[in-house]
Amino acid sequence: MRKVFDDYRVLSDETLRPDEPRVEKFLQAMKKSLQQRDNWTFWLPYTLSLDTCMKCGTCAEVCPVYLASGKKDIYHPVYRSDMLRKVYKRYFTLPGRLFPGLVGAEDLTEEKLNAMAENVYRCTICRRCAYVCPVAIDNGVIVREARKIFDAIDIAPDELKKNGTQKQIKFGNATGTPANAFLDMIEFLEEEIEDTKGYKVKIPVDKEGAEYLLMHNAGDYLAFAETVMGAAEVMDAAGVDWTLNSPAKGVNDAVNYGVFYSDAEFTTIVKAHVETAKKLGIKTLVVGECGHAFEALKYLMLRLIPPEERPFEVKSILELEDEWIREGRIKVDPEKNPEPVTYHDSCKLGRLGGMYEEPRRILKACCKDFRELTPNREMSICCGGGSGFAIMEKGDFRKFRMETYGKLKAEQLKASGASIIALACSNCKGQFREIINYYQLPVRFAGVSELVANALVR
Amino acid sequence: MDFWQVLIGGIMPYMAVITLVLGLGYKIIYWLKAPVNLHWELFPYPRTLGEQAGELLTEVFTLRSLYIHNRNLWLPSLVMHYGIYLVVFWLLFLVAGLSLAVYLGVTGGSLVAAGSLLLFLSRFINPELRRISGPVEYLNLVFLFLLAVAGLSSGVFLDFAFRTYIISLLVLKPNLSLPGNYLLFLLLFWLFMLYIPFTRMAHFAVKYFTYHKVKWGEVE
Repeated sequence: MRKVFDDYRVLSDETLRPDEPRVEKFLQAMKKSLQQRDNWTFWLPYTLSLDTCMKCGTCAEVCPVYLASGKKDIYHPVYRSDMLRKVYKRYFTLPGRLFPGLVGAEDLTEEKLNAMAENVYRCTICRRCAYVCPVAIDNGVIVREARKIFDAIDIAPDELKKNGTQKQIKFGNATGTPANAFLDMIEFLEEEIEDTKGYKVKIPVDKEGAEYLLMHNAGDYLAFAETVMGAAEVMDAAGVDWTLNSPAKGVNDAVNYGVFYSDAEFTTIVKAHVETAKKLGIKTLVVGECGHAFEALKYLMLRLIPPEERPFEVKSILELEDEWIREGRIKVDPEKNPEPVTYHDSCKLGRLGGMYEEPRRILKACCKDFRELTPNREMSICCGGGSGFAIMEKGDFRKFRMETYGKLKAEQLKASGASIIALACSNCKGQFREIINYYQLPVRFAGVSELVANALVR
Repeated sequence: MDFWQVLIGGIMPYMAVITLVLGLGYKIIYWLKAPVNLHWELFPYPRTLGEQAGELLTEVFTLRSLYIHNRNLWLPSLVMHYGIYLVVFWLLFLVAGLSLAVYLGVTGGSLVAAGSLLLFLSRFINPELRRISGPVEYLNLVFLFLLAVAGLSSGVFLDFAFRTYIISLLVLKPNLSLPGNYLLFLLLFWLFMLYIPFTRMAHFAVKYFTYHKVKWGEVE
């Protein structure tokens, strides 16, 4: 793959088609993105952010990629937003048409388009920059809108579209796991719990009318099974009426990669989630340890699906665990997790989801030595797994993830002195798995539910 | 009567005010009527109107975000913004007939001049800022600097009798017997008002939307 922006390539040649003319199509798609009617979902933050950046550079002071790269120009958040902003000014504003040089408007060329397509996948949309911007300008929304425009001209990473949203709709999960294989996996997990913990836990599947439908990121069953088992142990210990679901009963994967690049794909998936919950007649849809799925189902869905069409509540597994520990429904003993434990605030759960206190209360109750990473909460540094980056490997992209976001997290982690990093998001887990290997850290990662299960007093 | 006096002293003020009010008003109504976007809040955020007002005022009067995250720009920016606030109060106090107005005017003009100059230099000297700055970023600062210097050098900020002219504009009977050296200041002043609605100088109005409608969501 030839170089189009930096030393990495997220988009394959087949996807990017770098030598084909695409500028006209891009401009048509962008024109649509600027119409209120066609793009109501984010029109206001998008257009205000395009129009009003004061170029003070405050965003750059907190951007993990820019800082970790040694402040390379091309990773400056304003440089990235300006790639789209210059096009906006040139083709869609009067001053840009009349005085392009003065207002920083530029023609779009195929080369600039290639570079922009790649650069919008160097930002995880962690929105740390938007949090500190004095005018609340959101580089994240600009990046996401640019991804939407690219998707409209059929340029989106395979990991997110072909092997992501489209696979999820076809198979019920983005891992492509069929129902019988899923059921075998559940049986295996039940046996695994019995072998390791010495007690039996029945994991209900496809139970209709249950109080709680717990939906994990389907990748967790394959990559982070300890989290899935931990959550099952907690549900069992709480004695609640719960169930998982197989692909035979709709979508059984909480992920929604549309959050990262496409409103159309996002809507299709979220509707499939709603249909699944309705078909099973459950009362509460519990989102497993997955940051963006929580954002999608807890917040983004609200103004998209009318309340009467989603007759169920949405909660994070963290909310339930916190609630059950506090009310004594489950008993935990912090002595069972004696090692120093720290917690990484996933951007989607924290800055975008407001879930700061629940994981902390849980971990303080379940671990003997809980300590904070610095900075944390709303100023938490993105780990670099967000936006689906954790599953992007080709084009040497892992190195990008490790040398930018990963570098900062490794330093933070070392400074904490913790030997366990507790995580509540699958993308974060995928990224930390790599960070720990890449930087040879004497640390292991664990799902919050895994630590709760480990601390259970039965 | 001198053509420039009529144009700058008697016609432009009304053009400027009408453009500012209509231009900004149109934009604000357009934004108010914009479809409600999907939830895109950033946590934590103030939930009640009181908390939101408190946070917005803190940001407006202390530029807290710059203070915490971008300290080098904080002082010059604070100086310039306080200068602008004082110049606005200069006009209000002048209309109210309060002699304190002249002190506000001179102090405000001086702060605007100093702040815009410092911001210009910061932008020019700091390589990171220079790289993200286009000509328009410098132009905006030069505009403010010239406006402030024109006001200070003409003595208009010190002239309490300037009130007569402002009042004459308000009663729609412009008194055009203005000192000739006020014209440059007035020209720049009206041009600045004309300029605001079409540029990011309107960020004071945009902030309501980016904060209340997006970052903080809507009060439940």
